[in-house]
Amino acid sequence: MKWLVLGPEIYFLAVAAVFLILSMMRPNEKRDFSAALFLAGLGVAVTLATVRMGGSLFHGAYRVDLFSQLLKSLLSVGFFLVVCLCSSLKGIHETRQSEFYLFLATCTLGMMLLVSSLELLTLYVALELASYSLYALVPLRNGGGQQMEAGIKYFLSGIATSALMLFGLASLFAATQTTSISELILKLPTLLNTPMAFIGLLLTLCGFFFKLALFPFHIWAPSVYQGAANQVTAFVATATKVTAMAMLVRLVSMSDGNTSLAHVLTALAIVSMTYGNLVAMVQKDFKRLLAYSAIAHAGYSLIGILSMNPTGYAAAVFYALAYLTMTFTCFLVIVKVAADGRDVTIAELAGLHRRSPLLAMALMVGVFSLGGIPPTIGFTGKFLVFNAAMERGYFLLVLIAMINVVVSLYYYIQVVKAAFLLEPGEQLPSIHLSTPTTLLTLAMVVIIVVGGIWPSYLFELARAAAQTLR
Amino acid sequence: MDLAHFPYLSAILLSCVVGLLVILFIPREREALVKGVSLVFSAIALALSIYVFCAYDRTLGGLQFVEKLLWVEPLGIHYFNGADGFNLPLILLTGIVHFTGVLTMWELHGRVKEFFAFAFVLVLGVFGFFMSMDLFFLFVWFDVSLFPMYPLIAIWGTTRKEYGALKLFLYLLAGSALILPGIVYLAVASGLHTFDIMALMHPRALTPGQQRFAFILFYLGFGILAGVWPFHTWSPVGHVAAPTSVSMIHAGVLMKVGAFGILRVAIFLCPIGWEYWSPVMAVLATIGIVYGIFVGLRQTDLKYVVAYSSVSHMGIVGLGLATVTAEGLNGAVFQMFAHGIMTALLFSSLGYIYDKTHTKLIPDLGGMSRVMPVASGYFIVAALAGMGVPGFASFWAEVTVFISALKVYPVLGILAICALVLSALYMLRVVQKTFYGQRNERYARLPDVSFGVGLPRMILVAVMVLFGLFPRLMLDLIQTAVIPFMAGGGLPR
Repeated sequence: MKWLVLGPEIYFLAVAAVFLILSMMRPNEKRDFSAALFLAGLGVAVTLATVRMGGSLFHGAYRVDLFSQLLKSLLSVGFFLVVCLCSSLKGIHETRQSEFYLFLATCTLGMMLLVSSLELLTLYVALELASYSLYALVPLRNGGGQQMEAGIKYFLSGIATSALMLFGLASLFAATQTTSISELILKLPTLLNTPMAFIGLLLTLCGFFFKLALFPFHIWAPSVYQGAANQVTAFVATATKVTAMAMLVRLVSMSDGNTSLAHVLTALAIVSMTYGNLVAMVQKDFKRLLAYSAIAHAGYSLIGILSMNPTGYAAAVFYALAYLTMTFTCFLVIVKVAADGRDVTIAELAGLHRRSPLLAMALMVGVFSLGGIPPTIGFTGKFLVFNAAMERGYFLLVLIAMINVVVSLYYYIQVVKAAFLLEPGEQLPSIHLSTPTTLLTLAMVVIIVVGGIWPSYLFELARAAAQTLR
Repeated sequence: MDLAHFPYLSAILLSCVVGLLVILFIPREREALVKGVSLVFSAIALALSIYVFCAYDRTLGGLQFVEKLLWVEPLGIHYFNGADGFNLPLILLTGIVHFTGVLTMWELHGRVKEFFAFAFVLVLGVFGFFMSMDLFFLFVWFDVSLFPMYPLIAIWGTTRKEYGALKLFLYLLAGSALILPGIVYLAVASGLHTFDIMALMHPRALTPGQQRFAFILFYLGFGILAGVWPFHTWSPVGHVAAPTSVSMIHAGVLMKVGAFGILRVAIFLCPIGWEYWSPVMAVLATIGIVYGIFVGLRQTDLKYVVAYSSVSHMGIVGLGLATVTAEGLNGAVFQMFAHGIMTALLFSSLGYIYDKTHTKLIPDLGGMSRVMPVASGYFIVAALAGMGVPGFASFWAEVTVFISALKVYPVLGILAICALVLSALYMLRVVQKTFYGQRNERYARLPDVSFGVGLPRMILVAVMVLFGLFPRLMLDLIQTAVIPFMAGGGLPR
């Protein structure tokens, strides 16, 4: 019975095995999609069933608690949502679609292992499992070489960061003589004043800065967002970000309010927000714009983490959840607008309000949520993060972040303007949405708005999860 | 929630929400139905706001119709609505302007459903802002009232609409970049970790230094929306670009959101900061009054004329607030109401003329009073009210403000009064050129306002005259809030 707490991990391993077998059989688009949808739906149920479980395995190297289980639920939901977008997977050739689902499943598995790891080595192995799946997923797309550039860029910068991270892990071990996070929590706060431990922790964080596309680890983001298939980008933009935010919460919480670390993170947050927002203003491609907006959002979420108080950690977890919903909504629109799997420029959104009023509304809600306009979940996330930072007295940081929010509204409003205001040059046909897609779109809009109006339940959940960190 | 009484205030908000939802589920071809539904729900909101206005117990004073519900416990956020002498005039104003705005847009064609849906979101935000007594909700309503302005102007607007919409949107949200850090700062710096305005009003909640610092954040943040000089530049551009009913709501109500924000947040919570910064406020307000009038003198576009008059009239509100006296506050709140009604009437009657003639340039018009005497009549009445002619509500408001301003800032007060005399000249010039003089034959056959189309303007004129003849209806109500507040104890709990 002890193994039941590993339910989600075992389940996703099985899902990966199913797709491994399917990939050896004759390619069949319909079969793969139905299998994936069913298995992903079941996966959400399996993960949710284990939310309240707890336990420690492998001599404390692996811990199942509310924090890890909440994130696993988010990951399985993210996996399910991305699979929902794959009903017509035009961006990826039919023969490679089972591999696509296979890598998606292994990546999810890797990230699930990651959020439960309490041992630096397990953590590294789990991170690499997730990363290597993504390295394979990015260049899977059909087409003219752009995806290869993205894949190589992603791979090279990824392994470079991995090397940095390994160096960091080694330094941490050298400084503390332990690789167990539960012991690090006790030893690190006093040792952080030594350069070796400090550099070690900082370099370890770099691995997750890379996943989060935080400045200066952001170079891959624009090309990968644009070069990968829309569904893959949706996964990279939602699930991996959530994991990265969560892991940063876990690792930074070890430092126990170290001010030097907070200063470094503050600098990174400010630069990341400002850089992301300024560059996003001139983007023409919607996915590229979202990549730069992701760089900016990495900065916002870091504000919660660097506050290093329980409110801040809870706020960061809430932010991760909010970010997943609103980014996914934008990608839902992208996938539906680009029925043939191509990239979508902002100009191509013109006339969307006529082609599909529902998608236009969903886009507006999602984009305004990213922009932090109430009453959306994105606003609540920002509010919580700023509240946490203010409790530590970082007034100026909050002010800079708010100025950034206003700057970001400039490009978000361009998207809304295209969808609601501009008319396309030629008459485009209206977009037909199937009933499940309509329901999914409505559900996303409702979640974003309701999460903004009644954040109480979700915030309590995030708080409870953050409390299990210690 | 304390359910000792029917939650009238929430019912006002609910009527907007339900109106919005019903509209969303009407097929877009059924334009008449959308308009009908909008009218019904805006009428419900108006009826409720009239009821609240009349049912408020003036002998008791204080905060009434209180609805309080714990929303997010760990952060100290409450859903907290209440009505007092400060916000009741504005709630009534919003009800009137929205109702007449819906009537004014009765002849709208093209994307009708979206227009009325966005209009409901806008008004929902404004109502919520005026009645909220919790800083968090105040901010949420503030932003909710702002973002529909972008589509409303950019889609249905006229002159340079995209530029105007974007400028307005970014300017106003730049204000919120100061307000949000400000409210979080208040909640944290006070050590109370609550967003409840009544709790934060405790005299010892904030040190004088904190108050001086926070006041300037709120003054600038809300001041942008209130059209305080030199942050007013979004306002004329936005007014001119907006469609008629949006201009009405925008100039009539939304600018008051800014002024009311200064009152409810900056002045209520940081009274020491208020006293400290009041000379600066007075100077900026006077510059606004004078500047608005002089720039208005040079305009050839009727809408710009009205827009700049809004800048100068909002300057009068600012001057009233800057006096730090009971009469000044009283006049300022009354002026918010009076100016709201007056400017809504100006934009409404202007809108009719523009719809028919498709021009709002003064040289192109001329002799309109012979073409459409009734429509011209409405504009002239509103223009007279704007000049401060006795018999209209704005007369009392302006007199109250200027009397108190003369006591506190004699020089600025005299300057402002001189400018106001000039403004009479400028309004008369516009009236003379547009409505009298040589008739433009091109427009000679245009129809005049019918009874149905004229209805919203009649309502607005009636309200102006009612409060012009019986100003105590309003002044006594405002007094119930001002006196205890100025006595130092804040509102009685």
